[in-house]
Amino acid sequence: MVKRGTVQALFQYITAILLIFLLTWHLVVRVPWLRGVETFKDTLSPSLVYHEINAYGVLLLIFAYAALLHGFNGLRGILLEWTSGKYKNLITIVIVILFFVFSALATYTVIGTPSP
Amino acid sequence: MAKEKTKVLENKPGWIASINPWVLRVVNNPERVAFVLHRVTGILMALIIMAHIYVTGTPAHTGWEAWVEEINKAQGFSIVTLYFFFFAGIAWFHGLNGIRLLLVEFFGVCIGKPEKPKPPYLAPSLKACQRKLLYLVFLLWPILWALTGYIVFFK
Repeated sequence: MVKRGTVQALFQYITAILLIFLLTWHLVVRVPWLRGVETFKDTLSPSLVYHEINAYGVLLLIFAYAALLHGFNGLRGILLEWTSGKYKNLITIVIVILFFVFSALATYTVIGTPSP
Repeated sequence: MAKEKTKVLENKPGWIASINPWVLRVVNNPERVAFVLHRVTGILMALIIMAHIYVTGTPAHTGWEAWVEEINKAQGFSIVTLYFFFFAGIAWFHGLNGIRLLLVEFFGVCIGKPEKPKPPYLAPSLKACQRKLLYLVFLLWPILWALTGYIVFFK
C-alpha cells in the first residue's frame, strides 16, 4: 500500500533537488557581469528577458511548476499541522486550485509574452 | 476551571512553535533555530512566489511598456530593489538549509552512526557533521545575502 505522506515527502525532496539547480541558474542570470551588461537593472531589460523566455522557456516552466509544487506542498503540510488535520479537505482543495491557477499564469507568461 | 481544561499542553504548543524557536526549552539546539527559520522563509517564499509569477507576467498581460516602467525603479534603494533583496535573502537561507536537510534526511549523510545510549544521552545526530554544515549555512547566508545586496543596490 502506498503511504501518501511518504509520496508527498518524496515530491518535496525531488523538487528541492531540481530547485537547487534551477534557482541557482535563475539568480545567476541576474548577475550583471555574467550577462555582459553594466547594471542589475540592465539584466531586466526587455531584450534580455525576452531572450531568456524564448530560449529557456521550458526550463522556466519546469522551474515555476517545481517551485509551486514544492511551495504549496510545504504550505499544505504546515497548515495541516497547525489545524491538526481538521480542515484537511478544504486546505487540499484550496492548495490544488492555487497550484493550477498560478501554473496557468506561469504558462501564459512563457507562451504569451510578445517580442519587445 | 473551564480555562484550565482548554490550556495548551506544553508538548503541543501550536503554531507559535513555528515562529518561536525557544518554545521548546532545549539547550544547545541550533537545529531548532534552523527549523523555525526554514519554516518562516518557506511560508514567505510560497507567498512571494505567487506575487513573483504575477509580476513577471506583466509583459504578457499589459505589454512591455508597463514592464519598463517598473524596471526603471530597479536601481538604488527602491521598492523594487528592496523586494529583490528581501526575496533573495529568504531564498538563500531556505536554499542553503535545504541542501543540508537533503543531505541529512534524503541522502543520510552527516547524520552520525547509532550508538548505545549513555549519559549525558546526547543524540549522535547532534554531534555529527550536520552541525558543522548548519554553522556553514549560518556563515554563508549573510555573506551571500550581502553580495546580493551589493549587486541589487550598487550595481
